[in-house]
Amino acid sequence: MPGSESLVWVAAVTIVIWLGIFAYCMALDRRVRRLEEEQ
Amino acid sequence: MRASTLLSESLAVLAKELKSELRSRVALNAVGLFGLTTLIAVAYQIGPYQIQEQDRPHLLSALLWVILFFAATSGLSRVFVKEEDAHTAKTLRLAARPVAVLAGKFLFNLLLLAALYTFIVPLYCALMGYSVKGVPSLALVLAAGAIALSATSTIVAAIIARASGATTLFAILSVPLVLPLLVMLIQGTRAAAASAALAAVLPALRGIVSLGGATLIVSVYLFPVVWHD
Amino acid sequence: MTKTALRTSLPWLLGVWMVLVTLGAFFYAPSAEGFKGESARIVFFHVPQAWVAVLAFCVNLVASVRYLRRRKALDDARAAAAARLGLVFSVLATVTGSLFANVMWNSFWNWDPREVSIAILLLIYAAYFALREAVVDEERRATLSAAYAVLAFVTMPFLIFVVPRIYWSLHPDTIIGATGKLKLEMESRMLQVLLGSLVGFTGLFVWLYTLDVRLARVRLARQKREEG
Repeated sequence: MPGSESLVWVAAVTIVIWLGIFAYCMALDRRVRRLEEEQ
Repeated sequence: MRASTLLSESLAVLAKELKSELRSRVALNAVGLFGLTTLIAVAYQIGPYQIQEQDRPHLLSALLWVILFFAATSGLSRVFVKEEDAHTAKTLRLAARPVAVLAGKFLFNLLLLAALYTFIVPLYCALMGYSVKGVPSLALVLAAGAIALSATSTIVAAIIARASGATTLFAILSVPLVLPLLVMLIQGTRAAAASAALAAVLPALRGIVSLGGATLIVSVYLFPVVWHD
Repeated sequence: MTKTALRTSLPWLLGVWMVLVTLGAFFYAPSAEGFKGESARIVFFHVPQAWVAVLAFCVNLVASVRYLRRRKALDDARAAAAARLGLVFSVLATVTGSLFANVMWNSFWNWDPREVSIAILLLIYAAYFALREAVVDEERRATLSAAYAVLAFVTMPFLIFVVPRIYWSLHPDTIIGATGKLKLEMESRMLQVLLGSLVGFTGLFVWLYTLDVRLARVRLARQKREEG
């Protein structure tokens, strides 16, 4: 595959970005669940 | 319950609008002033000779609508904002049915636009050397455009009337709704200028008429909701 | 499965799914012909973002119409939640589209009808929030923004369906045909990744939307308790 090294880099960056977003969303999920339980 | 018909109520609202407008002439002045000023600026700087022959169809149709839209926006939001400013809105709510208020204000905006177009378009063509082959087609495009623009502006004006920063908000809310209309109007004007056949403007005309029609129908449902306290 | 069990497990499933989709987008799907280098791969992210932006618009419309009918504050919260996500995804779609356009045709913006459509959707969302900011009273805010949402929804089809027919489109035909329909002419592996990505992004939207609405429910319940 042409330029497969740079492809690996872009893929890695994308996955890191996604994991960051995912972690943020999970934190939100936890916060909402806590608020619901407090009710 | 009501002795008057919807039509007579609407016409009464229209008459009231016309009377109050002719007394103060605020909207007319604003619209006329903006239209004339931009037109003169464009005509003076550009005129019939500064644009290359191959660019003329595109540029001349687009410039015309830039001038018309700019002038129109300055006056179209007034129909509801001035009621709120003058505190006459409550009286109007009691005096007429919501649909009649909508119809009356829509017709007022329509007449305002008709006046603007009749004034500016021939002047523009003369000053810019814009030769239009299909004058009846152009008239149709202008008429359909006025109806569609008036429809959108009236309901948006009703929505923003009681929000803060009304005039800027009117522009912000209108832009996404009016862009497709503007694109179709420019395309229709270009087609009308290029050919005398009615078929040339039909695609654009169909789009403009359906957009205007859909907006009017939705306005009839939305307006009573927006108008009431 | 119980609701709580689903609520705990589905997000994790989505997390793994999206990692797989990303890997698939870069390594499983073949290079596309006729595109500069590997730039076509951005499509696996760009198309789902645009799809979610439109989906959010539809959810917003349904919630707005419901609000106008029933006047329940939760419906307004739903509409706002959908619009918030719609705004984010339409920004993402516009940005990824621009990046792709720059690689392919050396300019970030080309006034291609589909580019303009997503930009207009973005403007609609921005206008929606400008309106909400400008109205203080909660019920008026809900009514007026719902009315604007319905009005905007009526206008959108004209841009998507009418304008592209008048103008020629720069948008690659192999992916979305000139009529706006998804042409299934893609290589099967590319199609698999694209569909996988669509499912993933939709899942992300559903998750975030649900969270936002649950939060709103909690807030509304608290408000009611404080008043009652």
